[in-house]
Amino acid sequence: MTTPSISPRPTTPSAPSGSHPANAKPEILALSVAVAGWLLPGLGHALLKMWGRAAACFFTVATLVIVGAGMRGNVFPRSGEDAFAKLGYIADMGAGTFYYLARSLERDGPDVSHANGDYGTRLLATAGVLNLLAALHAYEAMRGRKA
Amino acid sequence: MSSGPEFDLSHLQAMVLFALVVSIAFGFLSRRGAYKRARYILWSFFLFVMIGIGIGWLMYPFSR
Repeated sequence: MTTPSISPRPTTPSAPSGSHPANAKPEILALSVAVAGWLLPGLGHALLKMWGRAAACFFTVATLVIVGAGMRGNVFPRSGEDAFAKLGYIADMGAGTFYYLARSLERDGPDVSHANGDYGTRLLATAGVLNLLAALHAYEAMRGRKA
Repeated sequence: MSSGPEFDLSHLQAMVLFALVVSIAFGFLSRRGAYKRARYILWSFFLFVMIGIGIGWLMYPFSR
């Protein structure tokens, strides 16, 4: 009596889907959209023609940066002395080019000796993290995972 | 040379501004359609402010 043989592996080897050359271009495009969205808040969504989201990202990040800098919050420099300053720099840099806008608006420098400056520091960090979230959303939308 | 805009906000004003702006961003990023977005923004804003005030009251006995 003969029994049919069942092979656990496919007879023809197949390459992983992520390494296929046809998938490389959309991945690069998605990364480009994310970088554009990081550099200028809302640009990533604008490139995807998501105009409402682009405007919302631009105006929310801009509002937080302008008010945060106007409250003389701390815009952390690159050369942070401790871990908190380094984390603050990463959060602030999340706002892309708006990081430099915040620095240019604060001609008198930060003043965290008052509560107002402390609140401003939080608003600036929020602007950066919010923009990173928006850039990640644009990246996912470009890859077709979100809409 | 003129400096940039200056703001002098109280703690409550800063919290309400934060809640409003973050709620708008979350609403636009996570929902589609004007009605769903508006509902999400209002609900998120309400929760941000109410939880903030609630935490403030919880900390009140230890404030002095």
